[in-house]
Amino acid sequence: MKNTSIIIGVVCLGLLGGGCDKSLLNTSPKDQYVESNYWESPAAAQAGLSACYGVMTGSGLWGGDATPLFEEGASPNAYDYDNTMGFNLIAEGLQSASSSGIIPGRWKACYTGIGRCNTFLVKVDEVPMDGATKTRMKGEAYFLRALYYFTLENYYGAVPLILAPPDRATQTNVKRTNQADVVAKVLSDLDSAAAVLPLKYTGGDLGRATKGAALTLKAKLLLWEASPLFSGGNDAAKWQTAADAAQSVMNLGGTGYGLYSDYRGLFLPQNENNKEVIFDVQFIYPDMGNSFDLIDKQYNTNAPLLDIAQVYTMKNGLPITDPTSGYDPAHPYVNRDPRLYQTIVFPGDTFMTVPVTPSRFAITGFGLKKYSIYDKGAPPSGKSDLKAGQSETNYILLRYADVLLMYAEAKNEASGPDASVFSALNSVRSRAGLPDVSTALTQDSLRAVIRHERRVEFAGEGMYYNDIRRWKTAGQVLGQAIYKYDGSKIETRKFDAARDYWWPIPQVERDLNPALEQNSGY
Amino acid sequence: MKIVLLLALTAFYLPLRAQKVTVTGKLLSGKDQTPLAGVSIRASGGPGTVSLSDGSFALPASIGTTLHLSMEGYLPKDVKVGKASLGVILLDASQKSLDSVVVVGYGTQKKVNLTGAIATVNMDEKQGQPITNVSNALHGVPGLFVNLSNSQPGVDRSTIRIRGIGTLNNSDPLVLVDGIEYSMDELNPADIASISVLKDASAAIYGSRAANGVILVTTKKGSGAAKVNYSYYYGKQSTTFMPDAIWDPIAYMKLKNQAERNEGKTAVDYSDAQIAEYQNGMKTDPFTYPANNWFDIALNNGMIQKHDVSVAGSNDKSQYRFSLGYLDRNGVMIGPNNQEKKYSIGLNTSFTISKRLKVGLNLDGYYRQYTQPFYNSFWQYLTRTLPILTDTLKDGRYGNSWLRTPGRNNWENPRMIAYTGYSKKLVQRFLASTFLDYKLPFDIVYHAQFGADKYDGLLDEFTPQVQSFDPKTLVATNWNSPATAPRADETDYNNLSIHFYNTLNWTHGFGASHHVAVMLGSSYDNFGTSQFAGAMTGYLDATLTALDAGTIRYATSGNSTKDVLESYFGRLNYDYDGKYLLEATFRYDGSSRFALGHRWGFFPAVSAGWRIDREKFLGQSDLFQLLKLRASVGQLGNQAVPLYSYENAIVLGQNYDFGGVLQSGAAATSYSDPNISWETTTSYNVGIDAELLKSLTVTVDAYRKRTTGILRAVNIPSQIGGLAGPQENIGTMDNTGIELSARYQNHIGQVGYGVFGNLSFNQNKVVDIAGQILYNYNSSISTITKAGYPIDAFYLLHATGIFQSNDEVQHSATQSAATQAGYLKYEDVNKDGIINGDDRKIIRSSTVIPRYSYGFGLDLDYKGFTLTGVFQGVAGIKVYPTANMAFPFNNGANATREWLTDAWTPTQTNARLPIVTESTGNADNFQASDFWLRSGAYLRLKNVQLSYALPKRWLSLAKISKVSVFVNAENWVTFCKYRDFDPESLLNSNTLYTYPMLKTISGGVNVTF
Repeated sequence: MKNTSIIIGVVCLGLLGGGCDKSLLNTSPKDQYVESNYWESPAAAQAGLSACYGVMTGSGLWGGDATPLFEEGASPNAYDYDNTMGFNLIAEGLQSASSSGIIPGRWKACYTGIGRCNTFLVKVDEVPMDGATKTRMKGEAYFLRALYYFTLENYYGAVPLILAPPDRATQTNVKRTNQADVVAKVLSDLDSAAAVLPLKYTGGDLGRATKGAALTLKAKLLLWEASPLFSGGNDAAKWQTAADAAQSVMNLGGTGYGLYSDYRGLFLPQNENNKEVIFDVQFIYPDMGNSFDLIDKQYNTNAPLLDIAQVYTMKNGLPITDPTSGYDPAHPYVNRDPRLYQTIVFPGDTFMTVPVTPSRFAITGFGLKKYSIYDKGAPPSGKSDLKAGQSETNYILLRYADVLLMYAEAKNEASGPDASVFSALNSVRSRAGLPDVSTALTQDSLRAVIRHERRVEFAGEGMYYNDIRRWKTAGQVLGQAIYKYDGSKIETRKFDAARDYWWPIPQVERDLNPALEQNSGY
Repeated sequence: MKIVLLLALTAFYLPLRAQKVTVTGKLLSGKDQTPLAGVSIRASGGPGTVSLSDGSFALPASIGTTLHLSMEGYLPKDVKVGKASLGVILLDASQKSLDSVVVVGYGTQKKVNLTGAIATVNMDEKQGQPITNVSNALHGVPGLFVNLSNSQPGVDRSTIRIRGIGTLNNSDPLVLVDGIEYSMDELNPADIASISVLKDASAAIYGSRAANGVILVTTKKGSGAAKVNYSYYYGKQSTTFMPDAIWDPIAYMKLKNQAERNEGKTAVDYSDAQIAEYQNGMKTDPFTYPANNWFDIALNNGMIQKHDVSVAGSNDKSQYRFSLGYLDRNGVMIGPNNQEKKYSIGLNTSFTISKRLKVGLNLDGYYRQYTQPFYNSFWQYLTRTLPILTDTLKDGRYGNSWLRTPGRNNWENPRMIAYTGYSKKLVQRFLASTFLDYKLPFDIVYHAQFGADKYDGLLDEFTPQVQSFDPKTLVATNWNSPATAPRADETDYNNLSIHFYNTLNWTHGFGASHHVAVMLGSSYDNFGTSQFAGAMTGYLDATLTALDAGTIRYATSGNSTKDVLESYFGRLNYDYDGKYLLEATFRYDGSSRFALGHRWGFFPAVSAGWRIDREKFLGQSDLFQLLKLRASVGQLGNQAVPLYSYENAIVLGQNYDFGGVLQSGAAATSYSDPNISWETTTSYNVGIDAELLKSLTVTVDAYRKRTTGILRAVNIPSQIGGLAGPQENIGTMDNTGIELSARYQNHIGQVGYGVFGNLSFNQNKVVDIAGQILYNYNSSISTITKAGYPIDAFYLLHATGIFQSNDEVQHSATQSAATQAGYLKYEDVNKDGIINGDDRKIIRSSTVIPRYSYGFGLDLDYKGFTLTGVFQGVAGIKVYPTANMAFPFNNGANATREWLTDAWTPTQTNARLPIVTESTGNADNFQASDFWLRSGAYLRLKNVQLSYALPKRWLSLAKISKVSVFVNAENWVTFCKYRDFDPESLLNSNTLYTYPMLKTISGGVNVTF
C-alpha cells in the first residue's frame, strides 16, 4: 500500500503533472482511534469506561509508586523524610500554591477522571449495545465521577462543577462552584449509581463499582458533611443522616460483606476481593503495578513515628500510659494490640528473617509492613526484591471495617452511645483480638475511643490525615514535634489552623483560569 | 511566440559564414601544471567541447573569434584565436568570492548575482579540526546559533537555529544534501565540500519547511586529474567544566548536618559519633571510610582518531569521487560503554552519456555504532555522588555506604552504572540518489532527481542483575530487581523516506544585457517510520544476551507513522547587464499533517539586487570591487507539528485491571483543534555586500521575520477533563536582527594575514497571542509567553536580598512558616502581605537564543606555516540551572564548595548565598526566583590550529603532491561567569548532568598523492 502510493506519487508528479488524486495526502494513525469514529462498539464503550477507572492508579490519586502510603506522612502517624509528592511539606505547614507534587497532581487527576466520566456518560448513549449492561456501566461512571468530585471537595473545598464532556469554549473560565452544590451533585450521582449497580460481580468484573460501594461512599460523604470542618458546627441531624447511610450498607442483603478474619491477610494480594473489600483500586504486574513493597521495605518514605507506635494499646485494651496496663518500657513491643505487629516493623522485630536493628529503618527506627508482601518470614520466591512498579497489591479505598466505625462515630455523635454503637465498634476490635470496650463510656469518652480505633485500624493506609482534618483536631495533633523510636526529636511541625485545613488551588490552574479564587491564607 | 523562436534560430546560424580552422590546445592548472579535464570550451556564437583527461581539446572555430573557457572552481578565461594551435593555456583556480558559485534551492547561482541573504561555509577551511559531526562546525556563520548541549560520542549533534526562534514548535532548519532532504550529521564531514545557509526569503522555494531557514549541503566532487587524499588525526579529550563539589567527607557531613539544623530539624543525617568514627576510620580503612573524588574516579581522558581516504578526478565524460572514513572515539566516562565507531562511504559520480543526457549517482552512507551503559542516567548519578560513597570493596565488589542518607535509598555507584550491561546503538543509514539532466530543444533542460533515505537502526540492550554492598556489613543491595533483570531489550528502527523532484530550466539572453532564467518544478516527499521492540527476561546470568537465551517474554511494542508532502514550485531570474538583479519564486505545498481543507499553502517571494559598483557614477575607482545592495521579502511556512494534531485522538493504554484481568482502556488525553494549518513567516531582509580595497570583504544584513499563526500546544486548565492542550495557530511573533561579518586579508612581507569577525544580534518579541498567556512549568523553571515580551521569558519572584534577622522576617510579607534569618527575601509585588505566585515578575531577557552571538579570529601564514585561531561567544542570555549540584543537597546529592565559605551565617551576614539548607527540604529559598538566574554569556577560544605544509621540493621526489601536518586545540579556553558547568551546555538544558562539553587537543597529517 505504502509502496503503491509512492509509485503513484512518482508517476503523477513525474511530468510536472497536476490534478492527481488528493488522497495522496490522506494518512491516518495506526496506534490510536479518532473520536469521531470511536464510540461505535460495546468493546469501545468498555474501554472508555476502563479508562475512567484507570485514573485511580495514577500518582495523583491512589497509585503511582504509593501515593496513599505517602499520604500517611502528612499525618502524625508517619514521616516522609524525602517529601515524596510534597506530603512532608504539608505535614510541616509549608505547602503553597506553587508546590509541586500532590497539590497540583490530585487536582489534575480528579478532573481527568471527571472528564472521562462526563464523556462516557454522553457518548455511551450512541453505542448500540445491550441496554442492561449500558445502564450498569453508566452507574459505574456515576460512582466514579462522585468519587473524583468527593476527593476534590475534600481537599480543596469549592471546585468548579463540570458535568459535560470536555469543552474549552464553555469550561475554561468556570469558577469554583459552591461546595454545597458540589456535595449535592455527588449525592445525586451516588443515588443514580446505587439505583442501578449490582450487589456483586464475579471473575473478570471484580473490582467494578457495586451498589454497596455507592452506598458506602455516600455514607462517607455524609459523615464528612457532619464533621466539624465541613459542617462548621455540630448538627445532630447531619450525624444521624450519616449513621443511617452507614447502616444502609450494613443492612444491605446479598453482599456478603463482613470483616475478614485475618487483619494482616486483608492487605495481601492473595486475599484480594475478600468479603471486607467494598471498593478497591486494582493493580496487576507487570502492566499496571505500584511500588508498595519497595516503599515499605526499602525507601521507608512512610516511616512510622514513635507516636503511632505508642498509641496502640496493650493486648488487654489498656493504653500504655495506664499504670495497670502491664506496659514495660524496657520491652515496649510486648503484649500490645496485635495490629501493631501486623502493621509496623520495630527495632527488635524480625523482618524477612533478619533481626531488625534501629538502623534497618534508619529514618525513625520503624518500618511499615501493611500493604507489603514482606513480613517476618522469607519472601516468596522470585519476589525477594520488588522494585518500582512491580507490586500488585490492591489498595482498598472502602472496606467494611470503615463502614462499622463510620456508623459508630456518626451514631454516637447523633444520639450518644447505644448497643448498636458498641456492637459496631467491638466487632472491629474483636477481629483484631482486643476485648470489648466498657459500656459505661459517655458520649465524649466514647468519641475518643472511636477516634483511637479509627487511627489504629487504618494506620498506614493514608486515612488519618483526613480524619484529623474533618475532626478539626489537626491544629493540636499535627503542629507538634515528631520523634524517632528512641525518643530523639526529628523536627517540630507547624500547622496554621487559619490556612492549613484546606489545600491551595494550584497556581498553575489559577494562571490558566484566573476566575479561580484562592483559598484563604495562600 | 513562433516569431521569437524564428528570430532566435536565425541569430544562431548567422556566424556560420566565417572561415573555419580546427583549433587545438592543452589546458593545465595554473597552480601545479596538472592537466585539467572537463573544461568547457566554447567559441563565441559557435560550437563547444570539453577538454580530455590530458587537458587537450580540439574544436572548429574561426580565426579571430574568442574561446570562452570555464570550469567550476576555476576562473573563466577568454582566449582570442590567433592561430590554429594555441599551445598550453593555464587556468587559475578561483579563489576570490566574486567568482564563486553558490548552491541555492534547486540550482546554483554566481555569488555576485545573489539577491538573498545566503551564507556559505567552505569546509576546506575546517581541514584538520576534530569535527565529529558537521553541525558542530558551523560556529561563526552570522545569523546561526549553534549549540552543543550533549557531547556524548554518538549523539553529539548541535542544535542549529537560524535567525532566532520563529516558532514555538520544532525550530530545526530544513537540511538538504545534494538536493535531497537528509540529516547533515549522517554524512562524514570530510565528504562535505560546502554548505549554503538560506536565511531569508531565498528559502521560500522550500515552502512549508523553510520557516526555520534552509541549509544546503554539497558533497565533494572530483575535478581534474585523479588525486588520492589521505588524512588522519588523533586527539585527547577531557571535560571543560565540572561542578566544584565537596570531596572532603567530613566537611560534607558537617555541612549537610548544618543544612538540616538550619531548617529546624533536630535529627540530622550523620551523628557526632558517626563523624568521629569516620574521621578515625579514614586513617586505616579507605574502603569503609572513603574520601572519594568521584569526578576523578569516574572520568578519564577520552580519545578520538579519524582516518579519511578519497580518490577523485574528472574528465570530459565523467566525474567521480570515492571516499572511505573511519572515526573511532572513546569517551571520558570510565568503562567499556562510552565508545563510538563510524564507518562512512561516499560516492559522487556523474556521466555525460550523450550531448543531451547526463546522469549521476550519489551515495552517502554511514555504518555507525555507539555504546552507553544500560542505565543511561550515568551523568545524573555522577552529580549525585558523595565523598562517603565507597567505590569498590577490597575484593572489587561495588560499594555503597554504611551511612544512611535520605534520598539515597538505592545508592547509585557511578562505577557500577558505567560497567552495568550495555546499550548499543547500531545504525546503517544511506542516502542514495540518482539524477538525470536532459537537454530539450530551445535551451530547456529537464532535471529529475530521486533519492531514498534509508535508516536502519538497532538498539541492543542488556542489563545484568547488579548489586552493591555495604562496606561495613557487606549486606547486598539489589540495584535492579531480580524480577526484571537480567533482561535483554532490542528495538528495531526501520525508516524509509522517498524524495522525488523534477524541474524544467530555461535560461536565455535577450540582446547583450537582458538575461532571463526560469525554473518550474514539482516534488513528492514521503516520510515513513516504523519501529518494533521486544524484551526478554529469565536469563540464567549475563553471559548469553540474545533474546532467544531468555525464557520469559517481557514486553513487545511497535508502531509506524507516515506523512506526505506534495509540492509545486518555480523561480524567475532576470538581470540587466549584471547590474539590476531580480528574482521571484513561489511554492505551493500540500501536507498530510493537516485536515482536509487546510492542507495547501502558497509561499511567494521576491528579491532584488543592485550592483552599484557597476554603475558609471562610481567610475573605475579601485575602491570597490563589489558593492551590492540587496533586498528580499517572502513567505515561508512551518508544518512541524506532531502528526495527527488535528484529530481528536482516542489513545489506547489507559487500561485497568478487573479481578486480575487487564482490560484495555481508551480515552482522549489531549484536546485537538481540527482547524490548524501552517505557520507563516514573512521575512524581510536588506543587505549590503562589499569588497573594497582588494582586501576587505564586508557583508551586512538586517532582517525582520514575522511569524503568524504560530502553532503551539496551548495549556488549558485541568478542569477541562485534565486534557493536554491542543496545538493551535495562536499568534504572532517577531524576530528582528542585524548581522555583520567582515574579513581583511593582506600581507606584510612574506607573512600573509587575515582578520575576521562576525556579530549577530537577534531580538525576539511576541507580538500577539490572542490575549492568551502561556505558562511553562517544565522542569521547575517558570517561564511565560506573553505579548510584548520575548518567547518563554523567565517569570520569577524577585529576591531583594537576605533576611538579616528574625525581626526582619516578622515585619516582612509572609513567605512560609519556615522563613528565618539568612533566608532569601522576596519582593511583595502586589503588596498583599503574602509572597506567592502573584508576585512573580517577567524578566526581559532571552531564555532561548542569545541576543548576541559573535566570533572573531586571525590567520597567519608564513612559508608553509599556517596559524588559525577562532574565538566564539554569546551574550545576552540567562540560564537557570537547577537540581543536583546547581542547588545544594538536592534530594540526597552533594553541594558545591561555595556553600562551605560563601553562605550566610549569623556571623557572616554580608554573604553572597543564603543560609545553607537542603534544596529539597526547603522550598522557600529555592522557589523560582531571579536569585538563581545566571548569565549564560561566554567567550571561548573555539579552535586554534597550527599547520605546516612540507615544501614541494621535498615531496616531488616521492611523487607526493602535498603533505601537511597540524596540531589543533578545541574549546581550550573559556571565559564565563558561571563556572560549575560548561555555559554552552546550559543554554539548552537546565541541569548539570548532560554529557559535559569536551576540550580536545589533537594532531594529524594530510597527504595528497
